[in-house]
Amino acid sequence: MSRGTLVYAVQRLLLITFTALVVSSIVFIGVHQLPGNALASERRLNPATEQALLHHYNLDLPWPQQYLLWLEGLAHGNLGESLVNMGTQITPLLLREVKVSVTLGLAAVFVTIFIGMSLGVLAAIRQNTWVDYAASTAAVIGYSVPSFVWAFLLILLTVTGLYAWTGGTIYEDIGWGKIEQIPVPALALGLPYAAIVARLTRASMLETIRQDYVRTAWAKGLSARVVILRHALRNALIPVATILGPLVTGIITGSVVIEFLFGIPGLGQEFVTSILSRDYNIVIGVFTFYAALIGLANLTVDLLYPVLDPRIRY
Amino acid sequence: MATVVPTALELPDQLQVVGAAEELPEQVTLWQDAWRRLKRNRLAVIGLVIIGVFLTTALVSFVWTPYPTWRQALGPTYQGPTLIHPLGLDDYGRDILSRVMGGAAIALSVGVGASMLASAIGIILGLLAGFYRGKIDVLISLLINISYGVPDLLIALILVVLIGRGIQNIILAISITAWLGMARLVRGQTLALREREFVEAARSIGTKNRKILTRHILPNALGPIVVQATYLVPAAIIFEAFLSLLGLGVPPPAPSWGAMASEGYKAIQIAPHIVLMPCLALSLTVLAFNWVGDGLRDAIDPRMRR
Repeated sequence: MSRGTLVYAVQRLLLITFTALVVSSIVFIGVHQLPGNALASERRLNPATEQALLHHYNLDLPWPQQYLLWLEGLAHGNLGESLVNMGTQITPLLLREVKVSVTLGLAAVFVTIFIGMSLGVLAAIRQNTWVDYAASTAAVIGYSVPSFVWAFLLILLTVTGLYAWTGGTIYEDIGWGKIEQIPVPALALGLPYAAIVARLTRASMLETIRQDYVRTAWAKGLSARVVILRHALRNALIPVATILGPLVTGIITGSVVIEFLFGIPGLGQEFVTSILSRDYNIVIGVFTFYAALIGLANLTVDLLYPVLDPRIRY
Repeated sequence: MATVVPTALELPDQLQVVGAAEELPEQVTLWQDAWRRLKRNRLAVIGLVIIGVFLTTALVSFVWTPYPTWRQALGPTYQGPTLIHPLGLDDYGRDILSRVMGGAAIALSVGVGASMLASAIGIILGLLAGFYRGKIDVLISLLINISYGVPDLLIALILVVLIGRGIQNIILAISITAWLGMARLVRGQTLALREREFVEAARSIGTKNRKILTRHILPNALGPIVVQATYLVPAAIIFEAFLSLLGLGVPPPAPSWGAMASEGYKAIQIAPHIVLMPCLALSLTVLAFNWVGDGLRDAIDPRMRR
C-alpha cells in the first residue's frame, strides 16, 4: 500500500465517520421532533412511572441536551438502550446482528460476481450464438425479477419442492444458524445484481477480446482458458468494478426485505421490527451502523481498483 | 453522452435552409428519428405492448373488475385457478384476478407518480446546481454524497411511519430519495452543456438565464432524462412492493401486489398461486419498462446512429 493510498483511505474513513454522524444526527433530530413522547403510545403508565421512565432515557431533557448526551455516548461506542425492551443495550445487540448481515451480504456478493461473470464471459466468447442470446435474455429477466420474487421461487423449489420430490428425506428449512441455510437467501439477494454484472461483463469482454494483445496471446498458441481468463478477463474486469459500489449498497438495501422474509436475525430485520414497534433508539442505531457499513464497503471497493488496474493511483 | 445534435430545431428559420439541408437527405428531428429506431427494436415494442395491456387493465379496474377486490368468501379459500376464477382465490376467498387488476392501478400510479415527482424535483435542482454552481451546487452535491451512505429503503420506511401509508405518501416517500439520481444526471448534463457554443451564442445576444435553461439546455439534455425517468418507474414499483412486503405499503384491503404476495407468503406451501400471481404481474411490468428503457437508451444515444 503506497503512501498515497494510505492518505486516501484515511480521508475516506474521516468522510465515512462524518456521513454516519450526519445521517444519525438527522434521524435523531427528526425523531425527536415527533409530537408526544416515545413511550406514550406503547403502554398505559401512571404519571409517576412515566416520569421515571422518561428520566431513565433522558427523555425529560430538552432535545439539544439529549443530542449532546447521545453524541457523548456515541463517542464511547454506546448507542443507548432499547425503548421497548428495557435494559437491552443496543450496541452489543447490533454488533451481533451486523455479523449476520455481513455474512449474508458477502455470500450474496459472491453469488453476484460468480454467476454474473460466468454468464457474461460465456455470452461474450460465444457472441451471436444461442448461448449469447440465452445468457443475455436471462440477464434482462434476472434484473427485472426483484429479489423477493426470487426468494419466493427459491423457497418453493427448495422447501416445498425438495420435500415433495424426495418424499421428505431431504428438506431445507428457512431460517438462520446452519451453513446450509445461507445459499438460498444469498441467491435470492444476489441474482438481480448478477444479471447486471453479466451484462456489463459481456460488454467489456467483447471490447477486450478484440484488442491486439489478446490476438497476440492467441497467436502465441496459448490455450483458450489462459487467453480468456488470464489475459482478457483481467482487463475486462475494470469497468465491471465500477458498479461494485452501487451493487453493495443495493444488496444491503435488498437484505432488509430478504432478512424479513427468511427470518434472518440481521440488521435489516431489526430495523423493520424496531420501526414497527417505534423503538426509535434502535432505529437511530441501525442507521448509524448502515451508514458505517456502506461507507466501509465502498472504501473496500475503491481500494480494490488499483489492484485491478495499476494505472489508478490515489 | 449529451444528445447534442445540431438539429434543425435549434436554428433560426433563415439558417435552416442554408445549413443542414445538404447533408441530411431528409429533415428529421431527433425525436422522430428516435421513435423510428424504437419501433424497429422488437423487445421495446413488446415492452410497450405489455405496458399498454397493464395500463388498460388498470384503467378498466377503476370501473369494472370481475368481482369486487374486497369481496371475501368463506368456502373456497386458497382455491387454485378455476374457470370462474382464472387466477384462483386467496386466503380470504377473494378473486385474485380482480385483485391483480386493482394492483396494476396501484403499481402504475405509484410507479409513474413517483417517477414524475422525482424527475421534476431532480430536473429543476439539477439544472440550478449545474448552471449556477456556487452554494446550491455545494448543497445538492453534499446531499447526493450523503445519500450514497444510507439505503433509501430505510429513509422511505421511516417517512412512511411518520406521515402515514396513503398512496400519495408512498409516492412522496419514494421520491424523497429517487430525485437524487435524476439531479445528479441533470447536473452533469448541464455542466457539460453550459460550456457549449450555442449556449455562449444565446448568451451573447442577451438571452436571459431562465430562457437559456429552458430553451437551450433542457431540450438538449432531454434524451438521457427520458431514459432515466423510464427506468425510475420500475424502480418505484419494486420499491412500493418492498414497502408493502414489510407491511408498510398502501394499507389493506387495497390490492397492492406486494401486499398480496406478503399475505400469500404465509400459505406458500399449500397455495403457491396466491404468491405467484401478483409476483408474475409485477415482474412482467418491471420487465416491460426495462425493455422500453433499454430501447429508448439505444434509440436516443446518437453514437448508435446509423
